Amino acid sequence: MRESTIIRIHYATALASVAFVALHVMIRVTQGFADSLEFENVVANYQFLPYAGILEVILVLLSIHGFNGLRVVLLEIRQGRMYERGVTVACIVMMVAVIAYGSRTIFAMNMGAF
Amino acid sequence: MTGDSNREGIRGMANPRRYGIERFAYILMRITGLGLLAYFVAHIYETSAILRGRAGWDEVLAMTQTVEGHIVLTLVIGMCVFHTVNGIRLMIVQGGIMTGKPGRADYPYTPRSQNARNKIAIYSAIVLAAVAMMYGLTVMFGEL
Repeated sequence: MRESTIIRIHYATALASVAFVALHVMIRVTQGFADSLEFENVVANYQFLPYAGILEVILVLLSIHGFNGLRVVLLEIRQGRMYERGVTVACIVMMVAVIAYGSRTIFAMNMGAF
Repeated sequence: MTGDSNREGIRGMANPRRYGIERFAYILMRITGLGLLAYFVAHIYETSAILRGRAGWDEVLAMTQTVEGHIVLTLVIGMCVFHTVNGIRLMIVQGGIMTGKPGRADYPYTPRSQNARNKIAIYSAIVLAAVAMMYGLTVMFGEL
């Protein structure tokens, strides 16, 4: 993929993340920060499909933005054909792993782990 | 004296007084980005504790609801606000806005893009991050 396309994706995921994370934080604060973290409230949040959807979207957006950011920082430090390919592959693998691990929590809780 | 003895390494590169606030913002953008990525991964791991039931969740929650935990979260709020505001500034600048009109390169070769509007935007990002951190401290320590 061309770097110009990647930077557009980077900016798009950044702007979308700001909107969704703001929503996520507002939901926590309006419920009362400490109360919103009570076990029953957290389980109820996960089982409310629109909110679970927001969490999944945030997970995907931030993983793409974060690991591409890490790739950019690492490529600024050092360059080289093998190094660049290695960094890109490692970042994609980490991104997929984080999305899979986070999705497991969201899906399991939404489908009634408790 | 050899040329190498004048090398300051990363400390010299990060010195905000040498290269101006733009270089400071550049470094801070990367540090906050890496900090936020570390927090994001830790947050994903932390929230997965809910799959271990009430005991697992309460155990993790007890770990985060301490003075140290609140200080870490306050730093995360500050990093998040700075990274967001400075990131939006960078997107605007890359779009060609706030860069000023092109002009003849005369000594001392001050880039037109590094103008007062950009400096104000960087300082605003820092001030907004500080205000958000103070708000975060009020919310979290108010509930201790």
